[in-house]
Amino acid sequence: MRRTARLLAGAALTVVALSGPAVSAYAAEGAGLEVFPSSVEPGGQVSVNTKACGDRATAAGDASAVGAGPFTMAPSAHEGDAIGQFRVPESAQPGTYEIVVECAEGGREVKGDLVVALNASRGQAMLPRGSVKTGVGGALGPDPVQSAAGVAALAVAAAGGTWLLHRRARGDGI
Amino acid sequence: MARIGNTLIASVTAAALCSGAWLLHGTGAHAPPQPSVTEGRPDPGEEALAAPALPPSPPDRIRIPSIRVNAPLTGLGLTAAGSLDVPPAGQKNLAGWYEAGTTPGETGTAIVAGHVDNAEGPAVFYDLGALKRGSAIEVDRRDGRVARFTVDAVEVYQAKDFPDDKVYGAAKRPELRVITCGGGYSKATGYQGNVVVFAHLTGAA
Repeated sequence: MRRTARLLAGAALTVVALSGPAVSAYAAEGAGLEVFPSSVEPGGQVSVNTKACGDRATAAGDASAVGAGPFTMAPSAHEGDAIGQFRVPESAQPGTYEIVVECAEGGREVKGDLVVALNASRGQAMLPRGSVKTGVGGALGPDPVQSAAGVAALAVAAAGGTWLLHRRARGDGI
Repeated sequence: MARIGNTLIASVTAAALCSGAWLLHGTGAHAPPQPSVTEGRPDPGEEALAAPALPPSPPDRIRIPSIRVNAPLTGLGLTAAGSLDVPPAGQKNLAGWYEAGTTPGETGTAIVAGHVDNAEGPAVFYDLGALKRGSAIEVDRRDGRVARFTVDAVEVYQAKDFPDDKVYGAAKRPELRVITCGGGYSKATGYQGNVVVFAHLTGAA
């Protein structure tokens, strides 16, 4: 009962939560080249994706600046992005390198930066410590709507009961 | 005619009495489910690689069908105190992942966290404590692949005695932690700890 009410009441919020951030995030990213991770150690694996080439498009990637050579961008299941991957050679020197992708159709070029650093491994990132504050107890209190409904129902019962007792006192045959 | 009227009113009265009592009785505490000890972490040693690791790619969405979770993921950092930050509490169907750490599917320990509730009521991971060993967790990644994890254990840890290494420490295979609040609640201090789900990669699509 309570969960159903919550579901109905929260439906609009949920829609906002589902669509709002995703839409704004992609609008902000525009049609550039996303490089992940943006900072990597020599020998590390990198994935790049872009919307610039349109839906279901392929593209030619070039990571020769960092010594990884050409790679292929293929359409992915994710939002119609073209995605590609390459591995940074062990011999790569620290620095910032430009990764270039050329759409197969139209020849549009998009570029992104990749930083090679000796201590960039995400496995060595500082780990979180301690517990996580992921609740305030809002699920625990009484639900005011349900309480009000309960009180109203009891009021109806009281009125009905009074009326019946009244009739019985008058001898109306119940 | 009066008899029918009386019967009708008697029925309405009885129904109102029952539903009123039920409604008021049902407004007590609705604590989120907590795992039983039988869902606890198995002994170390079952660390066999179950599926080949995926290359790094940031996650977009987490799905846990058995507790009807289907939520977008936002990037999380650390607080000044060094604990994992949390997603904005106002968005109740939003979870987060530790974006300086391992991405879900690559070798290591990927960390996902979300609220059990907010001021309005239950939130994205309200039912996390009801997960069982063997339950499936799926993570959609930006490279278009889906990392499929299987739950190994569901534990509750008190905040004052939180096992950082066990929860956040490095792993030799692709693993996932899903964290929310739990472990009892007091008005003064809030939730006493966290429910932590341990899972490892068992497939990918």
